[in-house]
Amino acid sequence: MKKRLVLDSVFFAYVLIAILYFLFDPREEVQKLALLSRWDLGLLILATSLSLSWSLVFFKQGSLGALVFDQNFRSRESQQKFWLWQIWIFFLLTLWFSLQATQFSWVELFDKEGFKGAVRLFQGLSHPNFALLPRAVLNMIETIFMAFVATILALPVAFLLAFPCAKNIMSSSSGFVFYFLLRMFFNIVRSVEALIWAIIFSVWVGIGPFAGMLALMAHSIASLTKQFSEIVESVDEGPLEAIASTGANRTQVIWYGIVPQVLLPFISFSIYRWDINVRMATVIGLVGGGGIGTLLIQYQGQAMWPEVGCIVFVIAIVVWLMDTASAYLREALK
Amino acid sequence: MSTSVLFEIKKLSKIYPQGVSALRNVSFEIQAGEFLVIIGLSGSGKSTLLRCLNRMHAPTQGEIFFQDQEISQLKGEQVRGLQKKMAVIFQHFNLIPRHSVLSNVLMGKLGRMGTLQSLFGLFSDEDRRQALEHLKLVGLSEKANVRADQLSGGQQQRVAIARALMQKPEVLLADEPVASLDPATSYRVMEYLKRINQEMGITVVANLHFLSLVREYATRVIALRDGEIAFNGNPQEIDAEMFEKIYGEGAREVQIR
Repeated sequence: MKKRLVLDSVFFAYVLIAILYFLFDPREEVQKLALLSRWDLGLLILATSLSLSWSLVFFKQGSLGALVFDQNFRSRESQQKFWLWQIWIFFLLTLWFSLQATQFSWVELFDKEGFKGAVRLFQGLSHPNFALLPRAVLNMIETIFMAFVATILALPVAFLLAFPCAKNIMSSSSGFVFYFLLRMFFNIVRSVEALIWAIIFSVWVGIGPFAGMLALMAHSIASLTKQFSEIVESVDEGPLEAIASTGANRTQVIWYGIVPQVLLPFISFSIYRWDINVRMATVIGLVGGGGIGTLLIQYQGQAMWPEVGCIVFVIAIVVWLMDTASAYLREALK
Repeated sequence: MSTSVLFEIKKLSKIYPQGVSALRNVSFEIQAGEFLVIIGLSGSGKSTLLRCLNRMHAPTQGEIFFQDQEISQLKGEQVRGLQKKMAVIFQHFNLIPRHSVLSNVLMGKLGRMGTLQSLFGLFSDEDRRQALEHLKLVGLSEKANVRADQLSGGQQQRVAIARALMQKPEVLLADEPVASLDPATSYRVMEYLKRINQEMGITVVANLHFLSLVREYATRVIALRDGEIAFNGNPQEIDAEMFEKIYGEGAREVQIR
C-alpha cells in the first residue's frame, strides 16, 4: 500500500510541476532556479499529490501504483482503467518536457541562411578532394594499427580477469568480496567514455597515437572483461562437475572445463572489439588521439569541406570493410 | 570375492540451504564388489545421496565411512584426495564437447597430475596407452581422435565410462547413467557397467529409473522415498505391493524392451 502511494504521488507531483511550468513559463535559467528554491511550493505539491493518490485508493480507482505493486490487483475485475491514462499522461508530458529541454524549433530547422550553410557543407562533402587521399590513407592505417594494438594488449588482461569476474567461479564468500570489488572497479572504468580516457592519457603521455591507443586499451580491457566474464557465467556446469569429480583442482577445472567452452566466443568478441575500436579510434583522434580523427578535426576546423569529404570517404570504406570482414569471421567461428 | 564393507552410512541427513530436506536419517552399508542400485521418484534424494558419497555435497548430519575412514567432514585437499578414488558418470555424460575422445578419457587422470603439467596437456605415454586400452574396452578405439560432440549419446556415455576407468577407482558412482538414452543403447551401457563390476571388481552404485534394468543388473536395491529408505534388499523382492510403497499409490511400472 505504501509503495503504491509513493508511485502515484510521484505521478501527481510530476503533473503538478508540469502545470506550474506551463503557468509561469520560466524562459530563463534564473527563473527556473528561483522556482526550484521555493520550498513552500514543494510542500504544497507534495501534500496535494499525496492526497490525490490517497483519494484514488479511497474511490477504488485502479492506479499505476496498484498495477505495479498490488499482487491482487490483476485478479480483481471491477477495476477502473485509470492507470492507462496515467501512462499516457506520463509519456506525453515527458515528450513535451524533452522538446523544451532540447530547444526543438521548426523555425531554425528550416531557416533559410542555416539551410544554405548545410547545402554548402554537403556540396563540399559530396565533391571530395582526392588530392588528400594518400595522407588520409596513411592516417587511416595508423588508426587501424592503433585499434589493433589496443585490442591485442587488452586481450590477455581481459582473459585472465574474466575468471575472477565471473560469479560462478567466485562462489566462496571471500571470493565474492574480490569479485565484487573487481566488478565495481571495471564498471567505473567502463562508465568513463573512451573519449575521456583519451583526454586523460593525452595529458599523461602527450597528444598523439600513443595516448589514443592507451585510451582504447583501458576501455577495451573493461568492456572485454565484462563480456568475457558473462560468457564464463553462462557455461554448461555439467563438464565442470565431471572434471571436479575426478579430484582435479580449481585451476584444472577452469582449464579443462571452462576454457574449451568459452574460447570460441572469446575470439568472436575480440574480433568484434577490434572492429569497434577502429570506429572509436576515429572519434578519439578528434581530441588528439592521433590517426585519421586528428586529420579530420584539422580540416573541419578550417571548414575545408572537400578535404573533409575525402577523409569521411576513407573512414566509411574502412568501417564498412571491417564490419563485413568481422561479421564474416564471427559467422565462420560459430 | 570376500565381502568387506566399503561404505558405511550412519544417520545421514542433508538439508539444502533453501530448507529442502533431501535426505533424512539414512543408514545403510555398501559391500565391496556390489552392484547397488538406488531407485525412487525424482526428487526422492537419489542424486543427493550419490553426491554425498563422493563429497561433491557436504552432508548436514551423520557419518559416512569409506574404507573405515570418516569422510563426511573432510575439507578442500582431503576431499580431492577422496574423489580420486571414486569415479562418477552422469546422466548428461558431461564430456568436454570440443576436445577429442582421447583427450576426454585422459582427463580422468587430472586428479593425479601436477597443475602445471596438466595445463600444458603433458600426459605420459603410459597414460595414453591406458586411455586407448580403456577405449578399446568400451568398443570405441577407432573413435579416439574424433571430437566428443560428434558421438551419439550412448557412445558419449561409454567415453565417460572410459574416463572414469582412468581414475582406477574403487567405486563407480553412476547418476542416472541411461536416463537420456534409448532402450537399446541403455542395455549396451548397462552391460559395460556390469563387466566393469564383475571383471574388474569395481563396486558400482547407480541411480536408475527402470525396474526392468534394476532386476537384471542390481545385486541389491535401495529405494528412497522422500529422503528416507523405503526398501533395502534383493531386487526380486520388489513386488506390486512394494512398488506402490516406493512410488506411491496408483503408480504403474513401465517396461522397456
